Amino acid sequence: MIAAARTGRWRAYALIAPALIVIAAFFVFPLALSAILAFRATGGGFTFDHFIKAWDLYRTDLIFTVGIVALSTLVIGVVAIAIAGYLTLGEQPRAVAILRWLYRWPLFIPFIVTGQVMRTFLAKNGMLNHALIGVGVIEPLQAQSLLDWRGIVIAFVWKQVPFVTLLVAGAMASLETQHIEAARNLGARRLRVLWDIVLPQVRGTLLVGLVLSFVTMLSVLSVPMMINPNSPTMITVDIAYRISTLSDYHVANALCLMSLVVAAGAAWLYLRHAAAAQASGG
Amino acid sequence: MPYLAIEDLCVSYGGTRVLDHVSIGVERGEMVALLGSSGCGKTTLLRSIAGFVLPQEGTIRVDGRDITHLPPEKRETAMMFQSYALWPHMSVAGNIGYGLRMRGWKAAAIARRVDEMLTLLQLEGFAARPVTQLSGGQRQRVALGRALAIDPHLLLLDEPMSNLDYKVRIELRHELRALQKRIGITAVYVTHDREEALTLADRIAVMDAGRIAQLGAPEDVFHRPHSAFVAGFMGADNALDLMRGSGADLAPAVAGTPQAARLRAHFRSNEAHLAHEVNDVAHDALVLPGTVVQSFYVGHGYRYRVSTGTADVWVEAPEHLAEGTATKVVVPRAALLLFPSDDSRTRIS
Repeated sequence: MIAAARTGRWRAYALIAPALIVIAAFFVFPLALSAILAFRATGGGFTFDHFIKAWDLYRTDLIFTVGIVALSTLVIGVVAIAIAGYLTLGEQPRAVAILRWLYRWPLFIPFIVTGQVMRTFLAKNGMLNHALIGVGVIEPLQAQSLLDWRGIVIAFVWKQVPFVTLLVAGAMASLETQHIEAARNLGARRLRVLWDIVLPQVRGTLLVGLVLSFVTMLSVLSVPMMINPNSPTMITVDIAYRISTLSDYHVANALCLMSLVVAAGAAWLYLRHAAAAQASGG
Repeated sequence: MPYLAIEDLCVSYGGTRVLDHVSIGVERGEMVALLGSSGCGKTTLLRSIAGFVLPQEGTIRVDGRDITHLPPEKRETAMMFQSYALWPHMSVAGNIGYGLRMRGWKAAAIARRVDEMLTLLQLEGFAARPVTQLSGGQRQRVALGRALAIDPHLLLLDEPMSNLDYKVRIELRHELRALQKRIGITAVYVTHDREEALTLADRIAVMDAGRIAQLGAPEDVFHRPHSAFVAGFMGADNALDLMRGSGADLAPAVAGTPQAARLRAHFRSNEAHLAHEVNDVAHDALVLPGTVVQSFYVGHGYRYRVSTGTADVWVEAPEHLAEGTATKVVVPRAALLLFPSDDSRTRIS
């Protein structure tokens, strides 16, 4: 009996071994190597010099990155809630159907294409300004380029809103319809229903979507590279520069670890919420 | 004009008509049960009153005010749902006080009203409890408290007891009736449970295929059904085709009996009995010779399916008979509810 249990255990290990090997070889090993390089002095030994240098050179970019990604996450959350809320509580079936069909399109467009689209859309002589001048909202002299931090935020929001909306709208659709009806029956308008009844019940899903978007945006190179490559820019551009131009893997790895710490902060927020939800049985 | 007046209400889903010119009035302080089987339109009627379904025709008035096209939040009705629909992220007090928050009440006034509701529903000490930690009966009370807290013009109940155990259901049924009488609220109660409708309601509206088949006091609907459908729904589910014999005697219809001479008879299984001899049977009773084909023990006796040749009927009797036993089903004349066989809508006295 004990022998059979041992055989079963080894079989289980054998089954998960390919997945473990892939994770170890392609995730854990490069990460460990990157961390070691970030702390290794040029002549050998352990040092914080690369971090000090990275902080001195790229402190502004790091703050800029966190600011851009946090602002984008916030806007993504608001827009995704608005779209998912309308999909759930909207009373015009045709408008709901059109919105449901439209909002997913950016999901299938890569970041690099998004960057290129935004360049033509947000430039001083781009489509947005032409449209605004055409409808008389601004004068031609008032046209300005949005290819700076605003362009990055717009590109991130445009690209990531469908992903978060997809998750949140799915969670909202799985809510019991009677929960919504009960609130309306007691006098709540639709906006109050969204805020009081729907959102609290999908906040876990919303948080997952936002944390995943936050981490994704933190690692995007193409969008800041195409829209706003000049300082201050996002840290991914700095990492690419240290590697491709200076072959300085030490500082590049230090910057990577700093990004990892920021991403880990978002993951911690999510885990804390998940633990609290589990503790309250929610 | 009744307190709740519904006139000529029509609702269709796609091409299917669900409510077909329904008219009904409910007096102030009255509880009316909408009774019917699944798909008869009773829940659609309730949801139309609540504002979740917009009718294509007809009007709904509460206390003379036309609410037909008002959104649900402006109707001042309170609905209690089949699933209770309590919000799991709120406490008992949060659920009960929500409607008051929507009306702009101050926190202290809400707390006082919530306490009143908890006392009324015997839930003292439950205010801070998450609703996810309550039993079915407690949830039902919280849902009722949430509906009553806003002092609604109309209480709408959509099969609120269908998810409860039998014992709890019976207990809460009596409590609900007593409470409704005490506070004098006007209520519409949807159910498919005949016994529940009889126990709870001042009047019962039996619904069939989007229409009200009969509206009346429980005793009237039970003893004097207007149609074969209502008779069947109110428990007289044995149905036979009869014909008039000599004089006033009735006998099972035989092949070739003209349609005009046929009658549709309904009777309840507990109002008939089995007899081996027919000597002591009243002369006007209907006697159906047959064979026991199925028997079930039902606690206070046995329930038999007896094949009479023309139809199978159900009879209850205290004695035990083996399947295959030849017997006679005796139905007293007074137990027979007679309807024209070609038109089951009008009852013959």
